[in-house]
Amino acid sequence: MSDRPPIVFVIDDNPSVRQALDGLIRSVHLNVQTFGTTDEFLQFKRPDVPGCIVLDVRLPGLSGLDFQRDMVNLGIELPVIFITGHGDVPMSVRAIKAGAIEFLTKPFRDQDLLDAIYAGIERDRARRHTAAAVGMVRGHYELLTARERQVMQRVVAGRPNKQIAAELKLSQVTVKVHRRHVMRKMKAKSLADLVRMADRISNATQTA
Amino acid sequence: MTPPGLRAIGKPWTGKPWTGKPWTGKPWTGKPWTGKSWLLPTVAVAIAIAIFIADTVTELEVAAPVFYTAVVLLSVRFCKRRGVVMVGIGCIVLTLVSDFLTPPGSSPETGFINTIISLLAIATTTYLSIKIEEERTAAYEARAQLAHIARVTALGELTASIAHEVNQPLAAVVINGNACVRWLEDQPPNLDEARLAVGRLVKDANRASEIIAQVRTLTRKTSAHNELVNVNDIVRGILTLVDGELTQHAIALRTELAEDLPQVRGDSVQLQQLVLNLILNAIEAMTQVEEGSRELFIDSARTADNGVRVLVRDTGTGLASDNLDRVFDAFYTTKSEGMGMGLAISRSIVEAHGGRISAAPNAPRGATLQFVLPAGDAP
Repeated sequence: MSDRPPIVFVIDDNPSVRQALDGLIRSVHLNVQTFGTTDEFLQFKRPDVPGCIVLDVRLPGLSGLDFQRDMVNLGIELPVIFITGHGDVPMSVRAIKAGAIEFLTKPFRDQDLLDAIYAGIERDRARRHTAAAVGMVRGHYELLTARERQVMQRVVAGRPNKQIAAELKLSQVTVKVHRRHVMRKMKAKSLADLVRMADRISNATQTA
Repeated sequence: MTPPGLRAIGKPWTGKPWTGKPWTGKPWTGKPWTGKSWLLPTVAVAIAIAIFIADTVTELEVAAPVFYTAVVLLSVRFCKRRGVVMVGIGCIVLTLVSDFLTPPGSSPETGFINTIISLLAIATTTYLSIKIEEERTAAYEARAQLAHIARVTALGELTASIAHEVNQPLAAVVINGNACVRWLEDQPPNLDEARLAVGRLVKDANRASEIIAQVRTLTRKTSAHNELVNVNDIVRGILTLVDGELTQHAIALRTELAEDLPQVRGDSVQLQQLVLNLILNAIEAMTQVEEGSRELFIDSARTADNGVRVLVRDTGTGLASDNLDRVFDAFYTTKSEGMGMGLAISRSIVEAHGGRISAAPNAPRGATLQFVLPAGDAP
C-alpha cells in the first residue's frame, strides 16, 4: 500500500503561485493537485495514498492557520507545510506548535520546500504504516471472544496462569486453552509481541 | 515647510468648498474644457479691429480705446500670463497708432488726456488680469497638490497589501525559474515543460511590473490632462492594486464591465484616484461589519445619452438616508479615522470631467456609489 505514488496538495489563492508550485512539484516527479480554496480541497476525493499539504497562510475567508486547526476535527491527518507572503514569528510558532512540518516565507528556496515536502510525505507514510498496523491488530482483536479478551488483558499485565484462573474462576487448563487461542488469533509470535500489540491498541484508543 | 500651493487649503475649503464651479470653468490647462479653442481668440481680434477702426475714424477726444480693456479681459480666457501682457502691450500700441492716424479734433488737449486715461485703463486691466490668472493657477495647483497627497495617502494605507501583491508574482517567478532548471536537468531534459515554466515566469514578471507601474502612475504628480481613456482599463488597473486588500478582508469581488463603453476624455490619474477612492471606501465600510458575507460589486455600462456609468456597491455599514447629500462634503465623515476628503475629492474629479456622482443606500445593507461621465470624442 505504501508503495503507491504519493500526492502533494497545494492550497493557495494566488493562481500564479499555484501554477508555479504545480510545475515545480511535477518537475521532481511527484503527483500534485492544486486548489484555490480550502473548500475545493475538502470537496476533492482524496486518493488513499501518502501525501502532504502545502498551505498558504493567507487565504480568502478561513486563514491557513485556522484550517490547520480544523483539519484535526475533520479527521485529516496530512502533514502541513506553510508558505506565506508575510510571515511573522508568532505565526510560525503557532503553526509549528500545531504540528506543521515547515513554515516558509515567499520567495523561498525551492530545495527547502521540496525537502519539507519529502519530509511531510515520509511522516505521512510512517503514520499510515502505524495506522495500518494498528488497524490490523485491532481487526484481530475484534475476533476475540469476551473471555479471550479478559485472558489477554491479564496475560499482557504479566499475571501467571494460576492467578488468572483464580481471578476468572476458571481451571488453569481452560486458561491455557484461551491463551493459545489468543496467541493464534492475534497472530502473535511471542508474549512480547502480544504485549506490543496490546500497547498499540490502547495508544490508538487514547489518541483517537 | 508648507508648499506654496497649500496656502489656499484651510480657508476656502471650510465653507462650501467643492461646488465644482472653479474647475468646470477652466479646469486643466487654461483652455476651455469643451468647445472650440479658436473661437475666443478670433472674437478678441475682431473686437480689437472694430475698436481700432472706431478709434481711428472718430475724433481724438472720443475715448474709444478704453474698450480695449474688453480685449484684455477676454484674453485671460485663453492666454497665460505672458500672453495677457502681450495683448495689453498690443492694445497700447494700437491706441498710439490710431492717435497718429486720427485727425486732431476741436479740442486736442481733451483728446490727449482721454488717450492717457485709456492707456492707464488698459495697463491697469492688464495688471489685474494677470493677478486673476495667477490666483487661478495657485488655486488649481493647490487642488492638484491636495489630490496628489490624498492619492499618496490612500496608497500608503495599501502599502502592506500592495507589497504582498507584488511579492506573489515574484515568488512565482522564482519557483518557475527553479522548476525550469529542474526540467532541463532531467534525463532526458523535458523541453516542453521547461518552455511552459518560462512562459509562466514571463507572465508573472509582467504581472509584477504592471502592479508597480500602477503604483507609479498614482504617485505621479502631473499627468496628461486631456486624453481619451477607457474607464474599464482604469477599473481593472485599480483592481490589481486592491486585490490583496480584498483577499485579506475576505471580500468577494464581482464585476460586470460592459465591453462597448465609449471612451472618456480626461485625466487618467484623476479618474484612477476616483475609482480607488470609491473602492477603498467600500472596503472600509465592509470591514466595519462583522456578520454576513462581504461583496464588492463593480459594474460599468453605457448610458442612454452615450456616457459611461460606473457603479460601486458594497455590503458595508451603508448610509443613513438623511445624509446622502452630505457624504460628498469635505470633512464629512462617519469613520473614526479619516479626514472626510475621499468623496469630496471624488466629486470634484467627476464634476471637473463634466459628470455627476451620487450615493444611495442598499437593501438589506451597504451603499451604492455611482458616477456618470460624458463620452469623449467619437472613437
